[in-house]
Amino acid sequence: MNPALLVARDELRLMRRNRVAVIAFALLVLLTLTAVVTAWSHRQGIDALRTRHQAAADRAFDAQPDRHPHRVVHYGTFIFRPLGLLAAFDPGVDAFTGNSMFLEGHRQNTANFGDVRQSSLLIRFGQLTPAFVLQAVAPLLLIFLGYGAIARERERGTLRPLMLQGASSGQIVAGKLVALGLVALLAGLPAMLGFALIAGQPGAQSAPMALIAIGYGVYLALWSALILFLSALMRRSRDALIALLALWAVLVVLLPRVAPDVAGAMVPLSNRLQTDIAIARDLRGLGDSHDPADPHFARFKQSVLDRYGVTRVEELPVNYKGILAVEGERLTSDLFDRYAARSFDAQVRQNDVVHSLGLLSPAIALRTLSMAAAGTDFAGHRRFLEQAEAYRFDLVQRLNRLQANAVSYADDTARDADADRRKRVSEQTWQAMPDFRFRQPAGSTLALAALPWLGVLAAWLLVAAAALVFATRRLGGR
Amino acid sequence: MPEPVSAPIDLSAVALSYGSHRVLDGLTLQVARGSIYALLGGNGAGKSTTLSVLLGFAKPEAGRVQIAGIDPGADADAARRRIAYLPENVALYEHLSAFENADYLLALSGERQSRDAVLGAFAAAGLQERAWDQRLGGFSKGMRQKVAIAVALLREVPVLLLDEPTSGLDPRATADFNTLLASVRGRGTAVLMVTHDLMSAADVADRIGCIAAGRIADEVAAAGRERFDLRELHARFAGERAAA
Amino acid sequence: MRIWMYEARLLFRARLAVGALALLAVLSLAAVGAGLAEVARQHGAIAAIAEPQKQDIAAIAAWVDKDKDAGSAAYYTFHPTWDAPSPLAFAAIGMRDVSPYILRVRALGLEAQIYDGDVFNPELALPGRFDFSFLLVFLAPLFVIALFHDLISGEREAGRARMLSALPGARRLWFRRALLRFGLVFAVIMAPFLVAAIWSAVPVGSVALIVLAAAAYLLFWIALALLVGRLGASSTANAATLAGAWLVLTLVLPTLAHVAINQAVPIDQGSEIALAQREKVNAAWEIPREETMRQFYASHPQWSGSPPLGPDFHYKWYLAFHQVGDESVARQVQAYKAGLKKRDAAARTVGWALPPVGLQALLTGLAGTDLAAQLAYQERIRAFHRDLREFYYGYLFTDRPFAKADFAKAPRFEGS
Repeated sequence: MNPALLVARDELRLMRRNRVAVIAFALLVLLTLTAVVTAWSHRQGIDALRTRHQAAADRAFDAQPDRHPHRVVHYGTFIFRPLGLLAAFDPGVDAFTGNSMFLEGHRQNTANFGDVRQSSLLIRFGQLTPAFVLQAVAPLLLIFLGYGAIARERERGTLRPLMLQGASSGQIVAGKLVALGLVALLAGLPAMLGFALIAGQPGAQSAPMALIAIGYGVYLALWSALILFLSALMRRSRDALIALLALWAVLVVLLPRVAPDVAGAMVPLSNRLQTDIAIARDLRGLGDSHDPADPHFARFKQSVLDRYGVTRVEELPVNYKGILAVEGERLTSDLFDRYAARSFDAQVRQNDVVHSLGLLSPAIALRTLSMAAAGTDFAGHRRFLEQAEAYRFDLVQRLNRLQANAVSYADDTARDADADRRKRVSEQTWQAMPDFRFRQPAGSTLALAALPWLGVLAAWLLVAAAALVFATRRLGGR
Repeated sequence: MPEPVSAPIDLSAVALSYGSHRVLDGLTLQVARGSIYALLGGNGAGKSTTLSVLLGFAKPEAGRVQIAGIDPGADADAARRRIAYLPENVALYEHLSAFENADYLLALSGERQSRDAVLGAFAAAGLQERAWDQRLGGFSKGMRQKVAIAVALLREVPVLLLDEPTSGLDPRATADFNTLLASVRGRGTAVLMVTHDLMSAADVADRIGCIAAGRIADEVAAAGRERFDLRELHARFAGERAAA
Repeated sequence: MRIWMYEARLLFRARLAVGALALLAVLSLAAVGAGLAEVARQHGAIAAIAEPQKQDIAAIAAWVDKDKDAGSAAYYTFHPTWDAPSPLAFAAIGMRDVSPYILRVRALGLEAQIYDGDVFNPELALPGRFDFSFLLVFLAPLFVIALFHDLISGEREAGRARMLSALPGARRLWFRRALLRFGLVFAVIMAPFLVAAIWSAVPVGSVALIVLAAAAYLLFWIALALLVGRLGASSTANAATLAGAWLVLTLVLPTLAHVAINQAVPIDQGSEIALAQREKVNAAWEIPREETMRQFYASHPQWSGSPPLGPDFHYKWYLAFHQVGDESVARQVQAYKAGLKKRDAAARTVGWALPPVGLQALLTGLAGTDLAAQLAYQERIRAFHRDLREFYYGYLFTDRPFAKADFAKAPRFEGS
């Protein structure tokens, strides 16, 4: 038998006999399974709840009585962000973003009722998900199982006899790596069980799932290499353990916390008050549709009259108030988009700062990859916000056009007792309005967004492997 | 300190069990002032447990233990104030000098001595002068023992307990150590050494006891200038050991 | 004194101890610095409200002044509210990074406004803030583990333990060494905090309580480390055991408790309130306006003497149905708040069993950055909103004109 495999078999036998190691491994498996089940049921629960709420909101919209279209602009509609299937593996920022939004004319509202504001302080301790277990806990288990792999042999003086029996230092390290890698694989397996659950669902996307699986595999492999590197480098197994624990604490606990503070300090974000006031100011700068002397709206009115070849709004074949509403919404939405884009850009730059620290911490790189592939990162939330805004704009403009075409200008400006009835549009109209349907991004889009971070992880793996090779050479030299 | 009526080290009919295993079973042993007692015995005969009982680490179930009139089981701290103990390997702080180690150990025992007094004790313990302010890192076992003995001398304890003091020492260092021990005895200290080394015991001890199955199976006192008959000792104790 | 100097020398000879303490000092300074910077940023944002707000009001006033309709003023004017960070907020940012501390409201339906959030980057919020509470709750135990896991086993492995134990006052030795390590960790963690706390004028009572709590928390971990150490395993095994305990106590059990609490106390009323309030508000357009007014006057009899509605649109009816809409969901709002408080209380109960959770709850509670503080801020907004409504009603229901000068008479939010 190959000496490396013999070493691997020995190492595994030793781990199996180590009661603490077996208990720790069993606990990890149990924890992962708990995480899989809770995250899965959590996602299913949230998804069912949001679907139910969405259906209720859609029903309420469709059930409106005869109404003036502009009333409906203000009645608005509620939308709920559906949760992607992979959120059962890595819910990412889901709990930190509002999951429902009220869409109405003239205003862009925030997404509200996020879990983070509805939960106890415990939510800030982290969330029990398969992603969390694999990112934070699994490396710790590997450290416990692997810190002594080489340091122990040297400390007890069993390394030299092993080498005298003909095993090269490379074969010894390779054997240990195989053993630890096998444990890593076994540790990752229960989480993959959750993957199997997800894969069985309709709409499961294989590309991002494959990327996630590879990403976590690379992550655990690079930890295995790092562990053996330090185990080979340190003279005593205790030093190896302490160094590894410190490394783990810095890479997995500290850096992910420090990075956002650095990003927040480097790229400031406008708050809502500043943005709202700025938008209001810009709007006033554009003109006042109620002021007949306003140059912008006077020009606009003239252009409409010219288009229809008439001289007075009363002669227009369409309701000028509706036309004006369309123009007004176009202007405000333009501003909303511009300011939203600015805020999104700032957030993207903040995230870029955090992500670039992923070069320093593979845990950040993996988290970025995992959320990107699961579609639960900021980009995923932004997709929702942008689709929501597009839908809002489309809905409001449909209603404004409805006002222009289905309500006559005469009726719209009439003030007699029956006028209110004549201004209204049939209730059937509302059912014909399209409902909001969040379009999940294509699997390839998600995978592509995650791909660069796989590159970063691969680079980490290469560095760790190179370090291990270096330490192995030194091992042979002594 | 009131003069103790009994011997500084005084065990009588001491019994102690670990679980169902009876480690000490009616152990009786006295070490008088200014005398050296060598305790021999096979592995598991109860030698280390005897030391543990004297140091107050283990409490006997029956019998009487007295260190200079104090029961270590009742007041370990008071007993330990009267004991200097040297384990088999005297491990001290590697990156402190010999003087600093002694100074620190004295401080730990709640005592303070002038530098001159410490250096004087080093000289008395036979530690070469150039080692006094050297870091302990490169010291041999013998040199470490001398530092520890110097501390014991400074503390003026009535009782010195030694665990395998000569194991791992070369013959010359053993001889040195035995000379040092004789001078300690000269100051009136009661010395109990646990050892495997019959030769060394015969060389320095006033009394040699052999412990087996938790009690003194045999005891020989030095006889005049001839001290011990080695051949006889071998014959007696080899049999006891085989029995243990 | 001599003996303490020796102990300090021995401790500082150990590279691990020196490295750990140096790193802890850097992190401690950074955590307090980051907290202070964040609080300064929040103060800055609150201070920056006044100027743009003044311009905004001026523009609205100029426009409203033409018709002098109090309704237009009420409809278009947003009034700022804010929740200034407490002096202690730097130590525990708590929820202040995800909950709004500035919110503008107008005299329309409050239930459609009060749950609005501010802009924040969710990816930055996800891992949590780097502040004093993080340092103390999460990182400090790791340093305790680094310094205490070999307190006794290290001496045993060096072969000194038996001789040291045989010295008179051996217990005092371990106590002295533990005290020295505790003192150093405590000093390094608390010194930057105390300087910042004094500088921020944190009440002495809070500081004293935090000092005590921090000491108790560190002592908990020290006791755990000593307990594990007493079991007689090697330093390595101790370190592994303690790191495992840290993982379980600070990460695994709190996340499990979180899942359990959110399961046990379901809260989905939030968006239901918003939906119900909107239905009620919009339904007003479908029923006779007098009916709305009857409902409104029933609960606000002081305005019932107002002249009846004419054929034209009148803002008093508009504001009335907004208020009726709010009142129609009052019960759900109470249930929602009760649910939130129940979750919070459950977490605090967990805190009695899990020291990290307990300490975090204490810190955010004292700093006024927890859920309770958020709810208290919402209560202040509600009170302010009541004043706003009364203010505008005073014009609307008596048909008093609302001129430019009246904008300055509007109630102002009394920031904490």
